[in-house]
Amino acid sequence: MTPIIQCRGVERTYTQGAVAVPALRGVDLTIGRGDFATLAGPSGSGKTTLLSVIGGLDRPSAGEILIEGRSIGGLDAAQLAELRLHKIGFVFQSYSLIPVLTALENVEFILRLLGVPRAERLARAREALHQVGLAGLEDRRPARLSGGQQQRVAVARALAPRPALVLADEPTANLDSANAGELIALMQDLNAASGITFLIATHDARVIAHSRRHIEMTDGRITLDESSSPAAA
Amino acid sequence: MLLLLAWRNLWRRPQRTLLSLLSITLVVALLVCMLSFQRGVYQAMKENTLGVFDGYAQFQPPGYRDDPTIDRSIEHPAAIVRDALAIQGVGAAGARVNGFGILASGARSYGALIAGVEPRSESQLSSIAATVREGRYLNDTDSDAAVLGELLARNLRVAVGDTVSVLGAARDGSVAADVLTVVGIFRSGIPQLDRSILEMPLARAQDAFDMSDRANTIALGGRTLAGVDAALPRLSALGARHGIALLDWQALEPAMRDAIALKYAMSLLLYLTLVAVVAFIILNALLMSVLERTQEFGVLLAVGMRARAIGLMVWLELLTLALSGCALGFLIGAGATLWLERRGISFGSLSQLLAQYGLPPRLHPALDLVSALTGPVAILVAIVLGGMVPYARVARLTALAAMRSA
Ligand SMILES: Nc1ncnc2c1ncn2[C@@H]1O[C@H](COP(=O)(O)OP(=O)(O)OP(=O)(O)O)[C@@H](O)[C@H]1O
Ligand SMILES: [Mg+2]
Repeated sequence: MTPIIQCRGVERTYTQGAVAVPALRGVDLTIGRGDFATLAGPSGSGKTTLLSVIGGLDRPSAGEILIEGRSIGGLDAAQLAELRLHKIGFVFQSYSLIPVLTALENVEFILRLLGVPRAERLARAREALHQVGLAGLEDRRPARLSGGQQQRVAVARALAPRPALVLADEPTANLDSANAGELIALMQDLNAASGITFLIATHDARVIAHSRRHIEMTDGRITLDESSSPAAA
Repeated sequence: MLLLLAWRNLWRRPQRTLLSLLSITLVVALLVCMLSFQRGVYQAMKENTLGVFDGYAQFQPPGYRDDPTIDRSIEHPAAIVRDALAIQGVGAAGARVNGFGILASGARSYGALIAGVEPRSESQLSSIAATVREGRYLNDTDSDAAVLGELLARNLRVAVGDTVSVLGAARDGSVAADVLTVVGIFRSGIPQLDRSILEMPLARAQDAFDMSDRANTIALGGRTLAGVDAALPRLSALGARHGIALLDWQALEPAMRDAIALKYAMSLLLYLTLVAVVAFIILNALLMSVLERTQEFGVLLAVGMRARAIGLMVWLELLTLALSGCALGFLIGAGATLWLERRGISFGSLSQLLAQYGLPPRLHPALDLVSALTGPVAILVAIVLGGMVPYARVARLTALAAMRSA
């Protein structure tokens, strides 16, 4: 089966004025379908940059990225947007919900972008919120949800379009440890139940402890890649 | 969906939105009121000034305006008067003989315009009939009667019942002479006229100046200046058929035309400044709100929304604000104007000053399409066009912002 993510010699160099800042210095990485992988590493090691280029939010300076076996290097901005819409869900660190929309509307919104008809849209959005344990809070706006609840809505939003892949950048960074643990458990359950691939950038030792595959980066390179779960061994 | 988002976004910061709305509303209302007032004042000024003697338009023989001599004349004016009256918008028309001559009474003599007029139509064309202070105005049965301006009468030391002798040059170059009895003295309020005009019956003037069935001018009037202005094309065609020129109000009173044009130009500057200031305030507020939402928009882009759709959403926010502000301002401005239009604005002790400018003591703003819509449309256009700036700003946003600015 084709892996969901393949990175071949991916480099990304930012230019700040005259200074070139190499954030990725040749990353080779393959992630299989249904994987639950964590990406760790010191601050500035390139985790966010790697997720960005994989998700098509940014373009690599060199190298190639394939999603489901298809190179995304040749796609234009609109095609990348389509790809994200259909294949990739994102969970960001925080404050990623639209503040003027309710929890349900935040999830429904992305289904509308996909052109899902209204009745189905509402049903799927409700179901997604139910899955993340937020039944009954559908009509609350983000400001009236706790940080953990907001991140659950973000996960529901990422899942509602039934993507193949969810990229999460430090999803637990702003949560207390109880909420962080619950969020991780939730993502694991969803991974196990639906087979959606998760790639999570995190510093959180407890998240890492739960991962089936653990990747570490230093200075824009992958320095460790181990499968720790007995299931994957 | 976009509309819903735009609407809710507007109410995220109610104070800012209400302030923006208020500033649009205020300026639109102000523009409607000011323009209506200005147009009303100019309208009154034109109608009052022209209504004293000129009429709202005139037929004249070719070349008469630059060289108004008695031998330039219109033949058989009655037929033209009849045809002119048949044109919609024209309510009055009257032939005139304009002779220049010397008026004498006792040992005093003064030069004056001796106007032969048809009393009935003249009283509709010119306010002189209505400003007779002593005696009465001319009527259709008068023959050797005359009315003259107050200052002229004072200079000649004549009163109602006295006689004045008229001495001038007739059309054929011979001497025109007549003796008239003063039946009335008028005070038009315009010193130049009160000092220099004597009116007498047309037929007698035609005799005295050897005009037979001719006139020098045909003055045209109607209920409103706008009505006569609208009739200008047909009047002009009528004039062309008879080989005579049609002069509209601007040709009759070029100084007033220039003064009004100058005032419009000066107030345009003020209006443009107002429009620019509002547009600037609104766009600044919008730009701020766009910048505040950089990360939020980044998230929208990251999940697959198009930059164009986000731009459209922002533009809808702007449009909603601009449209409601303009509508509110229009309603308030038009309402206030209509109220003032009915009531009139009195300037109390300033009324004498107003009279000098040919204005009545109570001014009525005139709400018409131009004065009602210019302000709102100008603001709308300025804001919608200016909205390109935040729009362009949004179009340049990238999804990366979602990852970075948390
Ligand atoms: N827009 C940018 N312009 C210039 N340099 C950048 C930019 N974004 C990131 N960098 C640099 O690229 C390198 C990698 O950054 P990145 O954000 O990917 O690290 P990270 O591993 O996510 O760090 P953290 O754990 O702090 O989130 C850093 O040295 C950073 O300073
Ligand atoms: Mg990072």
